[in-house]
Amino acid sequence: MQRLLLLLALAGAVAPAWSQAWPARPLRLVVPYAPGGPVDISARLLAARLQQGLGQPVVPENRPGAGGNIGVDLIAKGPADGYNLVMSAIATLAINPSLYSSLPYDPLKDLRHVTLLVQVPNVLIVRPDLPAKSVPELIALGKSRPGKLDFGSGSTGSTGHLAGEMFKMVTGTYMVHIPYKGSAPALADMMAGRIDLMFDNLASALPSIKSEKVRALAVTTRKRTDFLPGLPTLDESGLKGFDMTTWWGVSVAARTPQPVVDRLSAEILKAMDSPDMRERLRGMGSEPPAIRTPDHFAAFVAAELKTYTGLVRRSGAKVD
Amino acid sequence: MEAMFTNLGIGFTEVFKLQAVTIAGVSMTLPFNILMCLIGVILGTLIGVLPGIGPVATIAMLLPVTFNLSPIAALIMLAGIYYGAQYGGSTSAILVNLPGESSSVVTCLDGYQMARRGRAGPALATAAIGSFFAGCVATLVVAMFAPPLAEVALKFGPAEYFSLMVLGLVSSVVLASGSLVKAIGMVILGLLLGLAGTDVNSGVLRFSFGLAEMADGIGFFTVAMGMFGIAEIISNLEQKEHREVFTDKVSHLWPTADDFRRIFGPILRGTIFGCCLGILPGGGALLSSFGAYTIEKKISRNSREFGKGAIEGVAAPESANNAGAQTSFIPLLTLGIPSNAVMALMIGAMMIQGIAPGPQVMTERPQLFWGMIASMWVGNLMLVLLNLPMIGVWIKLLTVPYRILYPSILVFMSVGVFSISNQPFDCFLMALFGLFGYVCVKLECEPAPLILGFILGPLMEENLRRAMLLSRGDPFVFISPSKPISLGFLIASALLLIVIALPALRKKRDEAFAGEEHG
Repeated sequence: MQRLLLLLALAGAVAPAWSQAWPARPLRLVVPYAPGGPVDISARLLAARLQQGLGQPVVPENRPGAGGNIGVDLIAKGPADGYNLVMSAIATLAINPSLYSSLPYDPLKDLRHVTLLVQVPNVLIVRPDLPAKSVPELIALGKSRPGKLDFGSGSTGSTGHLAGEMFKMVTGTYMVHIPYKGSAPALADMMAGRIDLMFDNLASALPSIKSEKVRALAVTTRKRTDFLPGLPTLDESGLKGFDMTTWWGVSVAARTPQPVVDRLSAEILKAMDSPDMRERLRGMGSEPPAIRTPDHFAAFVAAELKTYTGLVRRSGAKVD
Repeated sequence: MEAMFTNLGIGFTEVFKLQAVTIAGVSMTLPFNILMCLIGVILGTLIGVLPGIGPVATIAMLLPVTFNLSPIAALIMLAGIYYGAQYGGSTSAILVNLPGESSSVVTCLDGYQMARRGRAGPALATAAIGSFFAGCVATLVVAMFAPPLAEVALKFGPAEYFSLMVLGLVSSVVLASGSLVKAIGMVILGLLLGLAGTDVNSGVLRFSFGLAEMADGIGFFTVAMGMFGIAEIISNLEQKEHREVFTDKVSHLWPTADDFRRIFGPILRGTIFGCCLGILPGGGALLSSFGAYTIEKKISRNSREFGKGAIEGVAAPESANNAGAQTSFIPLLTLGIPSNAVMALMIGAMMIQGIAPGPQVMTERPQLFWGMIASMWVGNLMLVLLNLPMIGVWIKLLTVPYRILYPSILVFMSVGVFSISNQPFDCFLMALFGLFGYVCVKLECEPAPLILGFILGPLMEENLRRAMLLSRGDPFVFISPSKPISLGFLIASALLLIVIALPALRKKRDEAFAGEEHG
């Protein structure tokens, strides 16, 4: 009993010591993509806010390459001191492990996932002159014309591509995947009527949906989105259990001390909950994620990894 | 027409509006939007001059700063950075043979040669004047014809892009002033270099040698700075006796009356060309500077001078790339589709400000839409006023002794290349391309066709394969009557090939005849 008390007292003494000592110098936040994308923009927003909470500069650093793997690997193999953070995402944590035949890091063992920052729904959009006006009609159309419909995506192995593959798998339709470099050119081809449908993330598709240049049929999340409350979910439209989002958050090296992870998580949540940050993230199509603890985030990553491993295998996509 | 003037009136009022602002605790009334425009174009000019640090990285870094501004002030500043960089890019291209921006590659060809002949002043002035004229005209085009032009842009699908690129590639052979065979060889080498990286369709890595750094292919700046900048330095160091000192030969800073006569046509044609190609997403603005140069070289009375310092060779591409930079706003403003990475960032900036980009912006937020267009005019005026007096300062830069100038250029290039991906690997690769570029100089193989092949190769492949996927493997999709645009480009390419090949063929025949007479 005495020993336990001593331990507790020690733990109590150590924890505040850690949180007082850390952070004693500037932090770096690695963005594993080129500047300008949504992950980069949100990282810069977060860095500015986090800096106020931690009292130390938080410096975003772009380390693009190999679909984000280079930047994530840097942190996974780096010092576990709480000064090295990375913007981790569905691609680097859940998709790339099965897409790339050799990934230098293990997304569950080498990293400690701190906070889920952004979760953006994907929407199923079709060209405005496609006869299908709802998901069941689209499925019927796909079945009556196997191999005739084209579905676009931002790239091979993107969530848009994998959502399409999952749609094909669940509905038993056959459509041809047309990969683009980013969703903008795919959207342009859809407006011009060259491709029939695509799963795009809400933020990039929203302007075209609002101006009726493309038609939205469903959202891929379990719950409807606040941005388009009239839009049914795929789950409601007969595809039971269909639930896909594009997400990203902050991770650190696996051995980072728990008090540091907790403090970091608390500060990131505080930043996210501030009204202006919430407003900016909303502008990117993100509703505040329900996942709010490091353990919950880690469990979420593990579940997503499992889902996408199966999907990638089915889609046949591979990067050596 | 009348409506347009009313709208532009709204825009200019917005740009020049006086606002009460508080800076460092002192509140004052300032024309805030115009100040933001000024800051944007100055920043843009600076990053344009510095190689590597492009508008994309700059705008991304400044995004958090703009959140505290009003949407209009933020967008005016960001737009200013973009077209300011187009101005600045030509400066380093002309002075030290460094393309500060990808579209400045063509400016290197004759701009740097003009500088070598002591005519850096007129070259810089021509670039500024051409850019200003093109910027003004293109802004007018955006104001008047944005919606119909956006419809035209949508007519371009994978098949049309592919055929356009074929035309671009064929005309790139004209870029070279030396041997035709060598030019074709360089184009093909460029195409091959462009293939390195991840395959778009299958995601398989090609020519990456197992290096993760090569997974995204070879960077444009890595190749361009190596082949142009470093190669030039090496070949200059080789000459021990008379290393070039440009300033000894500087005769005047301003273009002469004769120069003005010569640049008038090229500026006009370059502007039209840039306006047209700028609306096409994905490399349209870039193609326009190559295309404008090619046209001038073919039709100019001074075509022999091209590649040796023809002022037309600076005027046309500079006008084209600036016109293209302005009209590339059209797909963004009317469809909400970004035509390049900078435009994608502008969309990000708008969304974070709570504005959904797209056609409704014009009707729902006329102040924003027309304010932005009006600001482009003002910005272009500021740029020309800023840049013309700067010419004298830039020329002074050339008086810096070589032993100081060259190491500093090397440092700037390395910093620039490193800043793109934060990888030392890219700097080594740049050095390697520098060495290769030097070998090319020795072999009299010109780098420009290689660079164009390098840029166009991946785009061509992507569009070819997409067109084939969409047509389920039908090769006739490019020449089918249902795609008149694609067919037209391919016919034009065929004609151009004949025009290029004819002189060579005729020469051979003449030689053959000559041989017969002697025999």
